[in-house]
Amino acid sequence: MSAFLRLLGILLILGLVRPLSNAQTYVYAKLNYDSAKKTGHEQKKYLRDVLAELETAYKVSIMFDSKLVGKITVPEEKIKKYETLDAAFLNLLDAGKIRVKKLSGDFYVLQKAGGTESPQVSPVLAAMPAEGNKTELVNASRMMVSGTVTDAATGEALPGVSVRVKGGTKGAGTDVNGKYKFDVPANSVLVFTYIGYKGREVQVNSRAVVDVALEKDENNSLNEVVVVGYGTQQRRDITGSVGSVTAKNIKDIAVTSFENAIQGQIAGVQVQEPSGEPGAATTIRVRGVGSISAGNEPLYVIDGFPVSKNVDPGVQGDVARRTTAFRPPPANPLGTISPNDIESVEVLKDASAAAIYGSRGSNGVIIITTKKGKKGEGRPVVGFDAYYGTQTVAREVDLMNAAEYADYVKNAKNNTYLQDIPGANINDPNSVRYTKTTNGTYFIPDDFVNLTGTDTDWQDLIFKTAPVQNYNVSLSGGSDKLSYYTSGGYYNQDGIIDNSGFERFSFRVNLEAEPVKKLKVGFGLNPSFTNTARNSAGAPYFADPPGAVYSAIVHSPTVSPFLPDGSINQTDNQSHLFTENGTGANMTAANNPLAILKYIHDDLKQFRTFGNIFAEYELFDGLKYKLYTGIDVNNYSRSFYREKAFLDRGALTGDPYGQSNSSLNTNWLVENTLSYKKTISDDHMISAVAGYSAQKDHIGANQILAQNYPDDLVQTISGGQVTGGTSTEEEWSLVSLLARANYAYKDKYLVTATIRSDRSSRFGEGHKTGVFPSFSVGWRLSEEPFLKKITALNDLKIRASWGETGNFLIPNYAAIGLLNPYNYVLGNVVVNGIAPSTPNNKNLTWEKNTQTDIGLDIGFLRNRISASVDWYRKITSDLLLNVQVPAAVGFGTLNPLQNIGEVENKGLEVSLSSRNLTGKFTWSTDLNFSTNKNEVLKLGSSGDPILSTGGAGIRHITRIGDPIGSYYGYVVEGIYQSMEEIAAAPKDELAPASRPGDFRFKDVNGDGKINASDRTVTGNYQPKYTWGITNTLGYKGVSLSFLFQGVEGAEVLNLTRRHMGNGEGATNSYALWTERWISPEQPGNGTIPRADRLTDTHGNNNRPSSFQVEDASYIRLRNVTVAYTLPPKMLSKRFSSARLYLSGTNLFTSTDYLGYNPEVNNQSTATGVQGEDYGAYPLSRNFSLGLNITF
Amino acid sequence: MKLKITAITMLVSFLCSCGKNFTDLSPISQRNVSAFYQTSGDMITAINSAYKALQMNGTYNQSYWVMFETRSDNTDAGPDQTGLGADLAVIDNFVEVPATAELITSAYLDSYVGIGRCNIVLSRIDPIQMDERLKARIKGEALFLRSLFYYNLTVAFGNIPLILNEISVDEGKGYLQVPAAEVYKQLIADLKQSEEWLWKKSEYAAADAGRATKGSAAALLAKIYLTAGDKTSAVPVLRRIISDYGYILLPEYANIWGVANENNAESIFEVQFKGGGTSTGNAFTNVFSPLLRNSVGAYKNRPMPEMAGLYQAGDKRFAASMRTSYISTTGATIIAPFIVKYGTETKFNEGDADYNFIVLRYADVLLMLAEALGESDEAYNLINDVRFRAGLGKIDASTPGSFSDKLLRERRVELAFENHRWPDLLRFGKAKEIMQAQGKNPRLLFRIPQRELDINPQFKQNDI
Repeated sequence: MSAFLRLLGILLILGLVRPLSNAQTYVYAKLNYDSAKKTGHEQKKYLRDVLAELETAYKVSIMFDSKLVGKITVPEEKIKKYETLDAAFLNLLDAGKIRVKKLSGDFYVLQKAGGTESPQVSPVLAAMPAEGNKTELVNASRMMVSGTVTDAATGEALPGVSVRVKGGTKGAGTDVNGKYKFDVPANSVLVFTYIGYKGREVQVNSRAVVDVALEKDENNSLNEVVVVGYGTQQRRDITGSVGSVTAKNIKDIAVTSFENAIQGQIAGVQVQEPSGEPGAATTIRVRGVGSISAGNEPLYVIDGFPVSKNVDPGVQGDVARRTTAFRPPPANPLGTISPNDIESVEVLKDASAAAIYGSRGSNGVIIITTKKGKKGEGRPVVGFDAYYGTQTVAREVDLMNAAEYADYVKNAKNNTYLQDIPGANINDPNSVRYTKTTNGTYFIPDDFVNLTGTDTDWQDLIFKTAPVQNYNVSLSGGSDKLSYYTSGGYYNQDGIIDNSGFERFSFRVNLEAEPVKKLKVGFGLNPSFTNTARNSAGAPYFADPPGAVYSAIVHSPTVSPFLPDGSINQTDNQSHLFTENGTGANMTAANNPLAILKYIHDDLKQFRTFGNIFAEYELFDGLKYKLYTGIDVNNYSRSFYREKAFLDRGALTGDPYGQSNSSLNTNWLVENTLSYKKTISDDHMISAVAGYSAQKDHIGANQILAQNYPDDLVQTISGGQVTGGTSTEEEWSLVSLLARANYAYKDKYLVTATIRSDRSSRFGEGHKTGVFPSFSVGWRLSEEPFLKKITALNDLKIRASWGETGNFLIPNYAAIGLLNPYNYVLGNVVVNGIAPSTPNNKNLTWEKNTQTDIGLDIGFLRNRISASVDWYRKITSDLLLNVQVPAAVGFGTLNPLQNIGEVENKGLEVSLSSRNLTGKFTWSTDLNFSTNKNEVLKLGSSGDPILSTGGAGIRHITRIGDPIGSYYGYVVEGIYQSMEEIAAAPKDELAPASRPGDFRFKDVNGDGKINASDRTVTGNYQPKYTWGITNTLGYKGVSLSFLFQGVEGAEVLNLTRRHMGNGEGATNSYALWTERWISPEQPGNGTIPRADRLTDTHGNNNRPSSFQVEDASYIRLRNVTVAYTLPPKMLSKRFSSARLYLSGTNLFTSTDYLGYNPEVNNQSTATGVQGEDYGAYPLSRNFSLGLNITF
Repeated sequence: MKLKITAITMLVSFLCSCGKNFTDLSPISQRNVSAFYQTSGDMITAINSAYKALQMNGTYNQSYWVMFETRSDNTDAGPDQTGLGADLAVIDNFVEVPATAELITSAYLDSYVGIGRCNIVLSRIDPIQMDERLKARIKGEALFLRSLFYYNLTVAFGNIPLILNEISVDEGKGYLQVPAAEVYKQLIADLKQSEEWLWKKSEYAAADAGRATKGSAAALLAKIYLTAGDKTSAVPVLRRIISDYGYILLPEYANIWGVANENNAESIFEVQFKGGGTSTGNAFTNVFSPLLRNSVGAYKNRPMPEMAGLYQAGDKRFAASMRTSYISTTGATIIAPFIVKYGTETKFNEGDADYNFIVLRYADVLLMLAEALGESDEAYNLINDVRFRAGLGKIDASTPGSFSDKLLRERRVELAFENHRWPDLLRFGKAKEIMQAQGKNPRLLFRIPQRELDINPQFKQNDI
């Protein structure tokens, strides 16, 4: 550290040597306010003093030549409150001598009447110490200070910046080169202010040169600097579609990762939280789903380093025994990045913006820029952010209680008994039923005949209130030659279900320096460690390991959670399920969820480091060469153990097994770019970038499995017998050439062209290289003379873009026919067997994505209202599809990838931002709204639909004319009320013996019978539109903001209805089933069929149908934050700012969906089978109290 | 300074400038097709993978017994009719729905996986330089295994696509169903060839125990002749097995099964299983065990109540085949019929048991010969050989009942729970009658998986 400080010191000293320039200075109105008072004039005031008062009253800056204003005085009677500033000027100024020019916004210059028009070329107005200040000039502690004020993002010099001494009267303005010079007390603080930029205060500390970089004020969106691939652009010059979110929009939402925080904030970017498990990955869809088999996750570019969100289960080492379909959403690989370190998140949505990333751009690109030190900041700034919160389950589902459930069970069993068993009587006790049948299905468990009074609320038992805490300390600062940002963070979230949680230790250093002229070097390093406790919460109750949430909701309320001795009841809870002689009552055995949580252990540790280093050298005027290298090292290790003490679903002895996984993923990148920027004769602005890059990724993953643990004393692999293991390695590589050119004429006509060529190892021989061009234009109509007159309109731009991108998110060796071991036993010894596991496909290549975007940006009333509208149409062709191949080919259910098919996404995005109230009371509203329509246009040569198997058989279809992965099944038309109705209905070939109360399924094709050909599309996971609205209110230091967010027109395939809604009564059910059909006289709510223990052999109500598809639209109060920023006078000298806030997340969700989370998506990484709910970890509601301090 | 920096950056960038082969990456931890199938060793591993297909869930591990035992009058789904139990129940009751009958779908899929692996061997072995006798044997093994999968598929589904070469994904759609008779014709030709190429059981080294032999091919050939209705042709084949291939009836029926008795002198072909966490164990030992007897006994494929009564007094086969009760962990006697041929204990739980599954054995050959010969002294002698071993007396023409009924009954008890019952019922023309007597509405063929019809609309579904 001390070495670092020394280095810093040396650089600071070096930075002091700088040529002084001739300062050209304006005087600010405020300057002589104090001295004017001294003059003691009662009848008149100096004009300069009056102007100073006007500044305060109208919140404007007025600049003038002190010679011009000189000693002009104003009579007392004229000094009063004027309706407008213009009126004040009119009355106070002698129009013959002085004219007023409005420069921009709130900035006015007084000029000699008839003088030159532009302040930039007007004669220099030297700093004019007023009479009373003369003594100060000879003060020995004073010194001359000079410097340059630049834009922090672009480095461009800023003319006309006000520089003054804090608390004093002295001041100056910068000249056309952004330079200033004047004399100040050596220990003073300079205050820099400039329209559209954030003000800054810098300690002089006896430095002769104080260079300052000012940051754009985010509220002025036009000047906002937006990070685009391989460079930055001003918002006003952008011709593509780019959404952005900055640190202030995400800092109060208490979430693990930045992706969760941007939910609902960017039009066209849908962030979904399919699981509430701490650390679980979100899914992000930019402008819909363009691909079925290749991934749909956008490309992430973190400080220039492109990374894919690799959630391959092999990398994280998912539990080997768990079926793929029951795998919970993976842990978020980007969870190592602390949201506190993020400066901005940009989303490149259209092809024009994303084409610079070529084969990886078609799902959109998310650019993450982390915080950097500010050049010339002077003294270091220490930031401390912390919050502590509590979480509870956001929503519980409404289940039957013991009495309702018992009634349901009896109803189901009696209906079956009466229908199947000749001579059955509903009042037959089990003893009589035993004589008529041996099938336990017809018996009613004793517990249900005579309720014991036990009525367990299993949800209450598994959900708890859990703390979440976050601490982040940062140190940043910089001289004119070096800037630094360094931070350390700790985040700890306990899950609302026991044994789950996420913990993160994160560190970051970002350095930038200019060691010699024209050379800029930078370095960034972000090592982080996370520890995720992944209990077995989200999976079906029958999965291995079983899911605690689903087990809790199917579990009978008649069962006690604990045995009399206080231990978890794993043995006495199944007595009514079956007996050892098989004459049991055929209820479903589920585990005690408390046992799942206690006896199954699953820990995932991640260590990830992002590192990058770059050097940029200005070869000659405007032309820069940059070498950028980066590395991403990601290491996972996972240990899993299922204890011997765990008795799975009524087992009498345990079956302990363990697993240990580790993986190491390294990814390196080298990039050479040349960039050029030049303005020719003021009218032509040209900028261009061209580059060459190479990237290579290597993954190695190991897995060891063990069984037969004699006890639970040692829970690592060493405690059992090793029974298996694998070790796999994979690589991919990508070589690219890229180029982009921007041209702007008079800031009015804007053109951008981009091209990238990628060669990837993932594709077939001869199809490895792809070229991805894009082209876009913009026209800023507001710069045209005919619109300039309309003062209310300050920005109007129309944009259009077209381009092609690709999708390379397919398995590494999909083009190559792979062989796998299939070992057999001969001579009682395991012998090697090898056979193909995937077929060869030399023709495999990119999915091509062609996108057109037309957009409009508009700003009114000095940008108090600004809006963007985009319409887009995106066609994915050469769609990679896992084609269902006939079984006869011999690959089983494996569906190899082929480039067939075409999908269209089109939609409209609207973003609106309005500062409704400014002044003391502020109110702003940000709204975004987007629609997307997804439609399959082509599928292979024959157009045959693709059926996909999800968690429970074939329930999804991708077919022409419908969205990707639509739900597929029979359509419920109603409920039969009589036998006559059944007889008259089309013959249902799947319902051997329907009775009144059973579903009437629709004869979709109208052929008079109901069979497999009557399956059709019954819904889709993709929303028709999504929206978000944030309102922020402020008064003095208090602010209140609330974010509502919603999704309309999406459906969820609620597979929990297969058990909790099948009418069989073998598991507990949703309380809604108390409104089932009981008899024609008691038809219930008209949507729920009768209870029937063996519906499969009767009405077959439980077949895949529209009955399992539910509307999952929702409106959510995503976040409310009340914050108080302490006024400066309340702060001690040590603090420069302090803010306290109380924030609530996921406060309220309004939805018709029966389950926990309308965004649930069990297989979030498998596009063909999106939207299934098979028991997921619920979302949490969260209240937190936080603090941000800088000092 | 400037020069140095420029030099260094240029150097770094050139170091990373990447040639064309930078993006030519081959799999590291998986073999690939173009590098394999080169040596005799490769071909042995390749044929081993075809044997592996016998262990799949869609074949002998699960689907075949569901389709050929549970479907028949031998067993039912078991008491727990949730989950797998429910899937079994619909098959047991002939009410399976094509789209949801996953067990049937996997039988179809996995059988073709086995066929595909045989076809790869047959399509790729000829150009390879290797010992000709070994090459012939491997081809014989491939033909036998392929025929075995086709036999099961044809019995189950009737009309199926017949694929005899390695085909590409694109070619797959060109294959339509062919009638069962045509399949059998092909299998007969293949098995004749296979019998010629294969080695006798005695010619194999101990390490190869479990491979198909001349006897395996001949026994399957005879079964297909019978299934195809050509009893005459079956006779010489069966006689050849008896005279040339050295099989015997083991003196003790109970010794045919058990981990210690694998690949015994009566066994003609058996699927090899080995527990121990190497993914080569069987699941059915566990699945057949009654509820709670083992920690995860699933109690499926439960012998029907009348099954126990079919064994005559003194029939040693009863105790070796099934029990009607067991002693529970609490010491109580639990009445519950269950299968014991495949053991009831497992080393590791969850479907990883050691017991093999015998597909073809000598007693079946003797009974098939009786069937091929028709009612005759020789036929009764053959049946009686089997009965004597079971500790029973002889039967003859004077024993009540038709010859066919007596033979079928004998087959039922002798070969109980060995996946013979449903094919026997079909072959003897008794399936409809017997299942109807049980109050069921039998379908003789399983429904073609909906998946296949969805992929290829020209496929024809079997009638309900």
